[in-house]
Amino acid sequence: MVDVCIIGSGAGGAPIAYELANAGFSVVVLEKGENYTEADFNKDELAVSRRDMFTPPLNEQKHIIKEYKADGTFTRYDGAESGWNFWNGSMVGGSSNLMSGYFHRLKPNDFRLKSIYGEIEDANVVDWPISYEDLEPYYTKVEKIIGVSGKVIQHKHQEPRSTADFPYPPLQTNAVTKWFDKACDILGYEAMPTPRAVLSQNALKRNGCYYSNFCGSYGCASAAKGSARAALLQKCSAKVITDAFVYRLESNKTKVTRAFYYTKHGIRDSIRAKIFILAAQAIESSRLLLNSKNEYFPTGLANSSGEVGKNLIFSAGGSGRGRFVFEKLSQTQQQELMQTGLFFNRSLQDWYEFDENSKHYKGGTIDFLFEHQNIIPRVMNELYDGEGNLLWGEKLAQKVHKRLTTSRVLTFEVFNDWLPTDKCFVDVDETVKDKYGVPVGVIHLYGHPHDLKVGEHLAQKAVKVLEELGCEEIEYSISSAPPPNLVAGGCRFGEDAKNSVLDKNCKAHDLQNLYVTDASFMPTGGSVPYTWSIYANSFRVADVIKKRLKASIS
Amino acid sequence: MDGCNLFGITTPIDTIKVLQNDLFPQAQRLKIQTAPYMRIVLHHSRISQEDKIFIKNGVKWLNEEAITIYRSSYIKLPASKRQKLLQSISQTQWGDSFLYNIMGYLFEAMLGDPIYGANKAEAGWRWLAFEGGKPRPKKAFL
Repeated sequence: MVDVCIIGSGAGGAPIAYELANAGFSVVVLEKGENYTEADFNKDELAVSRRDMFTPPLNEQKHIIKEYKADGTFTRYDGAESGWNFWNGSMVGGSSNLMSGYFHRLKPNDFRLKSIYGEIEDANVVDWPISYEDLEPYYTKVEKIIGVSGKVIQHKHQEPRSTADFPYPPLQTNAVTKWFDKACDILGYEAMPTPRAVLSQNALKRNGCYYSNFCGSYGCASAAKGSARAALLQKCSAKVITDAFVYRLESNKTKVTRAFYYTKHGIRDSIRAKIFILAAQAIESSRLLLNSKNEYFPTGLANSSGEVGKNLIFSAGGSGRGRFVFEKLSQTQQQELMQTGLFFNRSLQDWYEFDENSKHYKGGTIDFLFEHQNIIPRVMNELYDGEGNLLWGEKLAQKVHKRLTTSRVLTFEVFNDWLPTDKCFVDVDETVKDKYGVPVGVIHLYGHPHDLKVGEHLAQKAVKVLEELGCEEIEYSISSAPPPNLVAGGCRFGEDAKNSVLDKNCKAHDLQNLYVTDASFMPTGGSVPYTWSIYANSFRVADVIKKRLKASIS
Repeated sequence: MDGCNLFGITTPIDTIKVLQNDLFPQAQRLKIQTAPYMRIVLHHSRISQEDKIFIKNGVKWLNEEAITIYRSSYIKLPASKRQKLLQSISQTQWGDSFLYNIMGYLFEAMLGDPIYGANKAEAGWRWLAFEGGKPRPKKAFL
């Protein structure tokens, strides 16, 4: 029997592996995917972005998706037939290998959404059982251990910090950021450098960023990106078993006793541990608990509250874009615009909270970045003319060449709260099974209208920046489409075992030795990408478990 | 019957070769052969069977249209009639979807990493002043 068995090796599981293994405890990590190292990562657009090499084939493993309307009717999608893919990165380190690493902390009021902003009809908003002050030391720890680069700029929504600045200086940026800063000054906006989980210099026995121009969606060949693998698992003695798909957790009335998994070759195996950590990504963690029902937990493991899978959330918002064209720029500016490799790295949080019509709203974050450098989608975007007619031949060639060589698109992403509701949750489909014969997860989707209203408010602010910059073809889309890489909830933590799955330390209320430490614990998600908070919370829980294990020894 | 055998010696690749040149002759001017890449596509482990069948069916439907309208398979038509045919099918749902798909694979060949065989000497990238990311793949992902 090992001390700790961790299911999932991403940002939720790896900090615990790192902390406990380095404290001398025996730790085994079961990872469904393969292991890749820096030497394996390259910038093959066809493999990574067109053939989805890091996620399971949908004809073998899929989800069923039910998309709800306000009236309760829904449309059902089969993931394999529709191509709707909710996998993020089945590999050691999980999707943290493939993230862009836009790192923002939650802010104090994110922990008290209900108290500060009040009830919202048809939304299950609750306060967190911990405060920003509880998590702050761990945000700082992540900055140092994972490696966060940036520069703190004081602005009206800057969260309190225990250190003055980031431990690593900001990454180099494209000269166009100066245009951006000027435009924001004119508008009275407070532009801030986007903190990134990417090392700007050699540190932590990892190489600094080499500005490959292909960061998000791709594995990092220098280890500059703070993936759970590069920053944590490669620096501890935890044993990682790859190609191990955990399909059931066995329990008695009070404890999880064994994790059963399939090996790469489809052979069943199992492992016993004193403590089990579930961190398989929000949707899959709920799925595993629901698929692990037994005589003690007939509706799913740790599910006496009936809350497992409930209140699934994503990051709400959307994205927009505007195009810089050579015709409006000097020759110097044209050269600056087309300089590739360097980051854009600018964010706005001026409207993290805002007032409108005498009402106080929780707002969000806007990140600005150049359009992804993948060239095939950029060309494919040009295949239709303004009237929706397909182009080909010389017309298309001329258009593609002009657009790609004499203009560049600046995009923005809006992050605001996806309110938890009764219509957005995970359960399992007893009839549809994956290649292992295990019931697949069913993702029930619903976006609260309030989310769209807030997203719209933020997008309109971003549009003003693009207008001030002189961009053309400005457009945006705010919708309830869920970003599959920004998913949380399903096992919310709370003080009351009747309406939450986990206690404030992310231990299941129902079981003495089961913790869930991916984004499942989050009752609300804040208005930032989740990864930094997942890392920080996992380090926090690691301290709790470390104390517990040390106490059990003594 | 799929598009492979319907027209005797005309294989999907034969038709696609002519079709892709009609759709984007710039590739050939850059000495980029995109049709051979379709063999990779048609055998790729991560491209669904449905998508592969759609390619073959599209070729078949294109040829059916050519025969219906001009009594000749697509590749035997003069260039002007092939263009008229493309205009015609692009107004249909299947035709628009098929041509969009075929161009998608064409640009994969032309602008994917040279290791896949078509983008020789990075000719496609150079045409668009594009620098591929590094490190480059050491083997194709099939």
